[in-house]
Amino acid sequence: MTDPGDAKPDLARQLIEILAAEAMVDIDKLTPETPLEDLDIQSADYVMILMAVEEKFGTYISVDTDFADAKTVGDLIRIVASRIEAGTGATA
Amino acid sequence: MRRVVVTGTGAFTACGLGADRLWTAARDGVSAARTIEFPENPRQMVKRAAMLAPEDMEAAWKRGNPRMQDRITAAALAAAREAVAQAGLGEAGFGARCGVVVGSGYGGADTNDRNMRLFALDPAARVDPMCIPKIMTNAAASWTAMEFGVTGPTLCISTACASATQSIGLAMQMVRAGIVERCIAGGAEALLAAAVFRAWEVLRVMTPTLCRPFSQGRDGMMLGEGAAMLVLETEEAALARGAPILAEIAGYGTTSDAGDLLRPDPAGAAAAMAAAIADAGLAPSDIGYVNAHGTGTVANEQSETEALRRVFGQDLAGLAVSSTKPIHGHALGAVGAIEMIVAINALRERIAPPTINFLGVDDKLGIDPVGNVARPFSGDAVMSNSFAFGGINASLVARRYAG
Repeated sequence: MTDPGDAKPDLARQLIEILAAEAMVDIDKLTPETPLEDLDIQSADYVMILMAVEEKFGTYISVDTDFADAKTVGDLIRIVASRIEAGTGATA
Repeated sequence: MRRVVVTGTGAFTACGLGADRLWTAARDGVSAARTIEFPENPRQMVKRAAMLAPEDMEAAWKRGNPRMQDRITAAALAAAREAVAQAGLGEAGFGARCGVVVGSGYGGADTNDRNMRLFALDPAARVDPMCIPKIMTNAAASWTAMEFGVTGPTLCISTACASATQSIGLAMQMVRAGIVERCIAGGAEALLAAAVFRAWEVLRVMTPTLCRPFSQGRDGMMLGEGAAMLVLETEEAALARGAPILAEIAGYGTTSDAGDLLRPDPAGAAAAMAAAIADAGLAPSDIGYVNAHGTGTVANEQSETEALRRVFGQDLAGLAVSSTKPIHGHALGAVGAIEMIVAINALRERIAPPTINFLGVDDKLGIDPVGNVARPFSGDAVMSNSFAFGGINASLVARRYAG
């Protein structure tokens, strides 16, 4: 896959893996351009994705982050990656 | 039809012991948020909540019974005693013609949390034999009835964030219908316990920063705890006793989305508001101030703003709307009563308390609430909204009492 936005490739790859595992979608179908709409990701899936992000990176991100603006997998990865890198959420 | 009036209010919140402490903090925009740390949870991510001040809790316990009560009950009784004292009620005011409706979403969280942990760590340890009666959600309601000798209908409404608003609404309907002459109504919640707080963390609706309802940049709610109670009675009974009449509870509306458990539906919220206004015999233009549910989450405010727009139309631009949750916290099953007391005080002083931490209008919402500083409003009626997980919507309308 190509680089999803500005996220570092390693981090992006890890986030893609989390997304695939938690939202139970085939990782091969995930590209930065994939519309989130096509993946049928429900609000409960976001909660699970962010749980896994906390476990892996120790960063708390509320569901009330700008996810509503995310249209594609790349958008979502970019938002989460920026929070992790900036450490803007609460951290343990 | 009997008119239902409020003759007493009591509140024990993070703002302090007393309804006046709550109102002053709300009006002046002083947040009661505190740093909260659970030593049991080394992974704790969110560190702020509107927790009851330890010294206030200690004062409340002086008249409580820790062997038989969870802190939720001690808090509820502190609020109820204040409301009853203000109403000037003596023994003759209770009995079978009085009811109690006290909401709670969670019941005795602290007792539950401690004892489940104790059991998990050591199944042979002595679990508190009074766990069940301390934890049950109706404990605060029943202790309130016992405290004053209320032998009429006593119940607990447990509908998450709508618990207290529905409690006041149902109490009003019971008084109005003549089922009881008066009712002690409100809500209590005390769930700032380690595991419960963690459960809220992982739902990920709490802000890691500041709660800023309706604002641009909002990213979640802030938990609170406490209790608030109102004494409702018929106008006739209040006048006969020469009791102070603080306001009239004029309208109540409640609906169910019957849709999604967590995602609110503006249609349901709008229907509850419209029903409450119609029940009060008023038009939307009669409402001068709305104490919004305004949790600070993206989803609530999208839904609530759309619902307000459907109900108030063009008038929404001139309507004073605010959320006081950044001040007293989202006290879940108690918050409807806390906010109703704020709304009644707002009505009496005709001052709309502010939504603090407000950074500016969120263009996606297009609503400009009373931001950061209180402001006067005109009008003789106010509304308070509560919209709960489970798709339950409830709105109350209070009117100035002019005799």
